[in-house]
Amino acid sequence: MAEVILTNVRKTYGAVVAVEDLSLSIADHEFVVFVGPSGCGKSTTLRMIAGLEDTTRGTISIGSRVVNGLQPKDRDIAMVFQNYALYQHMSVYDNLAFGLRNRRVPAAQIDAAVRHAARTLSIETLLERRPRQLSGGQQQRVALGRCIVRNPKVFLFDEPLSNLDAQLRGQMRLEIKELRQRVPTTSVFVTHDQVEAMTLGDRIVVMKDGLMQQVGSPLELYRRPVNRFVASFIGSPAMNFFDVHVTAVPMGFRLSADGIDLELPQRRFAGLGAHAGRAVTIGVRPQHLRLGCTQVDQVGLSGQVMVTEQLGDEQVLAVRVGAGDIRVAGIDPELSLPTGTRINVAVPMDNLHLFDAASGVAIR
Amino acid sequence: MAGVANPMAGFRLVAVDEKKRFMLALIAPAVLVLVFFQILPILTGANASFRDWHLNDPKKTWIGLTNYAYVVRDREFLNVVLPNTFGFLAASVAASLIAGLMLALLLNRQFPGRWLVQTIVLLPLMVAPVIAAIMIRWMFNDQFGIVNVILEAFGIAPIAWLTQKWTAFFAILLTDVWLWTPWFALLLLAALQSLPPEPFEAAQIDAASAWRTFRYITLPMLRPVIVVCVVIRAIDAFRTFDIVWTISGGGPARATEVFSIYAYVEAFQFLNFGRGSAAAVLGAIIIVVFAMALYRLLNRWVEVSR
Repeated sequence: MAEVILTNVRKTYGAVVAVEDLSLSIADHEFVVFVGPSGCGKSTTLRMIAGLEDTTRGTISIGSRVVNGLQPKDRDIAMVFQNYALYQHMSVYDNLAFGLRNRRVPAAQIDAAVRHAARTLSIETLLERRPRQLSGGQQQRVALGRCIVRNPKVFLFDEPLSNLDAQLRGQMRLEIKELRQRVPTTSVFVTHDQVEAMTLGDRIVVMKDGLMQQVGSPLELYRRPVNRFVASFIGSPAMNFFDVHVTAVPMGFRLSADGIDLELPQRRFAGLGAHAGRAVTIGVRPQHLRLGCTQVDQVGLSGQVMVTEQLGDEQVLAVRVGAGDIRVAGIDPELSLPTGTRINVAVPMDNLHLFDAASGVAIR
Repeated sequence: MAGVANPMAGFRLVAVDEKKRFMLALIAPAVLVLVFFQILPILTGANASFRDWHLNDPKKTWIGLTNYAYVVRDREFLNVVLPNTFGFLAASVAASLIAGLMLALLLNRQFPGRWLVQTIVLLPLMVAPVIAAIMIRWMFNDQFGIVNVILEAFGIAPIAWLTQKWTAFFAILLTDVWLWTPWFALLLLAALQSLPPEPFEAAQIDAASAWRTFRYITLPMLRPVIVVCVVIRAIDAFRTFDIVWTISGGGPARATEVFSIYAYVEAFQFLNFGRGSAAAVLGAIIIVVFAMALYRLLNRWVEVSR
């Protein structure tokens, strides 16, 4: 059993708060992804779990043992670094064996462990090479090998894919996912790429400015973001937002702005009651907008096509609605939509996200 | 582009010429200094080495390689000067490298008063070698020297440091190591501070002890810098003159004579310019060959570690 529990963890550098009051419980064998823009505190959190940074306040426990005062080597963790951090002057074999040799594991056992790890990652033929003779993907595999060879309680990944090109990144993502199934281990993965977060994580922790914004499964985050930041960060292309003014009307609410005039029923959007007479932000994912007129339980917008992006399997449109542009995805690639075409788009009411315009908090 | 550039070709040529002239004007002073103060003296010296050129008998007769033959057969040169020179070189470079590395590792850590220690450590770099040598000579003076005073305080009989070969050699070595350790420390500290932190963090997680981190991570990563430092310092140590001359004058009885003292003594004490020049040219050849061999050897060491 190796659950990782962070309790009220805080980290400051002088006056700068890197991580604020973070509490999280990561279950045994769970794969948790920390995601957020750079400087949000995700890497700092990971490094605190690793023991490379100490905590200013709060406790971290691994496998029901508080590790705050322990050295990294005593925490039974392994870490993959962004730039792999391989020992350049050692062969791949020695890179994998170094940690075991330091722990005075018998040579025969080391050999067996190294060869097993190499087999798991298909790097058996590279064992005699030096890291600089390997491609980026191979180096990353060696870095993974260095982790699994020791069979630690927790894997820590610090943006391990960000140095790879897009194609290789996709491939390594699959390999990490496959590795998870073969070597189930509690894992913490840090990335700024929401696609990695969505595809890899059992749960995702979205962070911003040192604060945990939301924790949940990928689908929860996608479907029910707690605030505008999470909504904008998860999903691609990013969610469309527009500010509207709320007025109460019989049986519902009217949301209006320049070029926008929607009416939402009271019974489904009761939360809007508290915002009558004020501004709210509507969020709509580009994928949820459909070309055509409004039907039952839908709301509609109309605007002018500004730009089309042909992706082969779909088109993504930028449509000017009122003063702002919104993006519409999933358009038939064969459809010809010259710039300036007036179109109507509709979105099911279930797919509307409403946020307080000032605080960004979701309105339920 | 080409179509646009062509009509301008004439102008461009002038511009380049002017640029070249300007560059030549910039390097000309340096070239002149090099020619008059390096190349001409070297040629003059080389010329002298082939001639019978005494100050008291300035016929300057061409005698071919006679001077070289003398130096090469000179027992003093072969049995004292060369072993002394290379022994001094090896001991001084090794000792100051090790001491410098230790200081650099110390200064690479955070501790209170680090800046003070750093300043103190770097002080010898600001002392002229001759001054340091005079200081050491007085410290090791057999009658008034502080070293003997301290020894006596511990009940040890005073030692006539500069009148015996190995003790005099020790004093010379100590001076050189004292002078050059900060140089090694400074360069190695800069190298240490430019190393990426991740391999060290990985080693921390890999449970590497301080010694194993140094042996398997730090040292291999420092190798390229160490090689350059050692080669530069070895060449420099080969031609050491001032501190040996000041502390022992090559004595007692030529026992601590190194190559540059030998050449100096032949030329300016025995006033045999030809022989002195031949010794100097031989020394230059030896150090060039030695430095190239050393560089290749050490470079292979680095290559292997890559």
